Amino acid sequence: MSNTKLNTEGVLLFEQPFARVPYENYRRVFRATQKNIERELGAVQTSAGDLATRGKAGGFDSHEAANVLEGMIVRVESLKRKLSDLNESAGKPTQDVMRQRLRYLGEIDAMQSTDTPDFTQWADTRLDRWLVDWALRNGKEKTARKIAEDRSIQTLVDIDLFTDIRRIEAGLEAHSCTEALAWCSENKSALRKSKSTLEFELRLQEYIELARERKTQDAIVYAKRHLTSWQDTHLAQIRQASALLAFPPTTRCGPYRRLYDPSRWSTLIQSFRLAVYNLNTLPSEPLLHYALYAGLASLKSPSCYCSATKNVDCPVCDPSLGQLAQEVPFSHHLNSTIVCSITGKIMDADNMPMAFPNGYVYSREALEDMAAKNEGIVTCPRTGTSCDFSALRKVFIS
Amino acid sequence: MEAPLKELAKLEQLTSKASSSKGKSIPDSLDSLLQSLRDAKNRLEAGAASEDTLVNLAKTVDARKKDVDDRQKEIYNSLARMGKALDKKFTSSLPFYPPMFQSPEANQALENTIAVHFLRTGQFTAAAAFIEETGIDVRSELQTQFEDLHKILTALRYEDIAPALEWSVNHRDFLESRSSPLEFYLHRSQYLRLLLSSQPPNPLPALTYAKHNFRPFYSLYGTEINRLMSCTIYLPLPRLKLSPYADLASPSIQIELEPMFAKEYCASLGMSRQVPLRVVGDIGGGGALARIEKGRKLMRERKSEWSQSDELPIEIPLAPENRYHSIFSCPVSKEQSTEANPPMMMTCGHVITKDSLQKLSRPGGRVKCPYCPVESLISAALRVHF
Repeated sequence: MSNTKLNTEGVLLFEQPFARVPYENYRRVFRATQKNIERELGAVQTSAGDLATRGKAGGFDSHEAANVLEGMIVRVESLKRKLSDLNESAGKPTQDVMRQRLRYLGEIDAMQSTDTPDFTQWADTRLDRWLVDWALRNGKEKTARKIAEDRSIQTLVDIDLFTDIRRIEAGLEAHSCTEALAWCSENKSALRKSKSTLEFELRLQEYIELARERKTQDAIVYAKRHLTSWQDTHLAQIRQASALLAFPPTTRCGPYRRLYDPSRWSTLIQSFRLAVYNLNTLPSEPLLHYALYAGLASLKSPSCYCSATKNVDCPVCDPSLGQLAQEVPFSHHLNSTIVCSITGKIMDADNMPMAFPNGYVYSREALEDMAAKNEGIVTCPRTGTSCDFSALRKVFIS
Repeated sequence: MEAPLKELAKLEQLTSKASSSKGKSIPDSLDSLLQSLRDAKNRLEAGAASEDTLVNLAKTVDARKKDVDDRQKEIYNSLARMGKALDKKFTSSLPFYPPMFQSPEANQALENTIAVHFLRTGQFTAAAAFIEETGIDVRSELQTQFEDLHKILTALRYEDIAPALEWSVNHRDFLESRSSPLEFYLHRSQYLRLLLSSQPPNPLPALTYAKHNFRPFYSLYGTEINRLMSCTIYLPLPRLKLSPYADLASPSIQIELEPMFAKEYCASLGMSRQVPLRVVGDIGGGGALARIEKGRKLMRERKSEWSQSDELPIEIPLAPENRYHSIFSCPVSKEQSTEANPPMMMTCGHVITKDSLQKLSRPGGRVKCPYCPVESLISAALRVHF
């Protein structure tokens, strides 16, 4: 089965997050715009309404009214400035990112085959993008920035998003929920929609920290303010948290010892990561891993792990990639494919396999070439056996 | 990507500063609002305001706010349409996979692969940053070797064949053993460049070059050299392009030198001809994952388990250049051959696996080939190595 036809559907399977991230970013910009408009224009509208009512009642003071109007003018001017800033700093750039990404994805619509220079270039960029994604997720920000800069693909990668994630994660690593909670409130509605309980987990952790320091009073106040609103869904956990105050951090009582366990922080990092990836439709694993998984599984064969049949051109035979391939299944083949170990070409009816008397098989092309150079004598490169070309036997593979 | 791009254009229109026939832009609405506010204020200060001024102003504010709200609603709708267009374009999302390549060995292998990839593709600054960030140990000679490679490739790109030629001459035996035409092709490219760059057409410098350099290659590439000599009668370039020698005018002759050189250089270092990470990524990202997921879904729907859990349930089609190993699957049993169940060639030349051969055996240790009329002795079957 040969295949160089471009499988657009298979390619696009990887690209949803690529198109979605800027789209979600833009929706955030829109929400921020909307919030500003509602607040400022709402206030202006109320002031205007008040003035009108007072006007109708007949008792308005021109000077006072002019002052109110001045206040309204200032509000509208500041709104105008804010909206313009928002558009220049976030709206427009995000639209540009969207356009460039959609165009980049549109390029493959026009491509038919994978063996064209256009596709090669496209796939080069794709691998660069995957490497940036991988580097960002693994905290190799410098590498990520270097690749993006060298290949001029800044608009095609999400460095800012991951920088933000890193910043918040660093907060959690330093046992501070502040950054993560700020993020939660920025994305409140989206988190509610996806039924994320991240905020509760963070609040609970802050409460636990108060309990750890034995600030019982503060802890009770904190719980009243931040935990009780979750009682519909998390009653059991809230009850357990209340009881926590009766146990010192040195407790050996299982459930409470687990609440005090510092490893809760790394669980929080995981939950945060999951929530933020989810919100941006990013998969939990780096895209490179998905591609490696499927690519290695398509190529992996038992021959890759046998020194006699290794092929230096085969990616899975590479020691490092072979190590990674241990985690993936072997490829599956219904039909035989016999590859000549001299030329690397597939043998078929036009280029028959020929066997030496010792059973070693090569392509007719390679053996004829060898015979022509050596007065009809052929030598098996793997065993060193020599014989006349006429002693070779045709092999039939059905 | 037509549909989402169209929606994006609409969105850009809606959020731009310019008003259109369909409605006022938000900055314009705000400007108009400001104008009304200032007018009213001026009138108040001039003492020319009546209660109507304030009532009308309230109406104007309402109207302008409505303009803005309408515009925002349109933007919102445009965004929603764009979301739908994206939904339509991306019908399936990536499956959930548990964390992969987490073990220290796998992590190290992956980091090593990536570092070598950067070097091999000439991304030396990225490689340096990566090595610094991971602290992994990359053999320094590897780095120099790839730096040399990229120096030569860059020279080739700038039409300087000298470094490539020097390397080829130093590795002549190696290239000959691979029957690689690299050295000859370098000379050919230089010859053609001399020929085609002369203005007005003057084949003399090219022919002098040929006289000095083509001789050792005559025995192997005689016909090609003759064509190179003959094509001079079709100069200049536009005429050559319409001649039977048009292939010699094609820029691909020059462009293909780079990959060809890289392939030979890597082979001399015992490295694969293609960039391995690219190969794996292209296969995985080119439909393999989609197929694997489809196969898995089918298995789940049929509630059948994979027959072998460590083998994919379906075959992934591979391009011929990505077939690196011989796969023998027995035409009788459909099983892949293994060390314990190797392929056996009967005297007629047909090959089946050893197990199948045993199953087909008849009294007297004979077997009738299932693909031709020949009957032979099982003991005469030969184990073949592909």
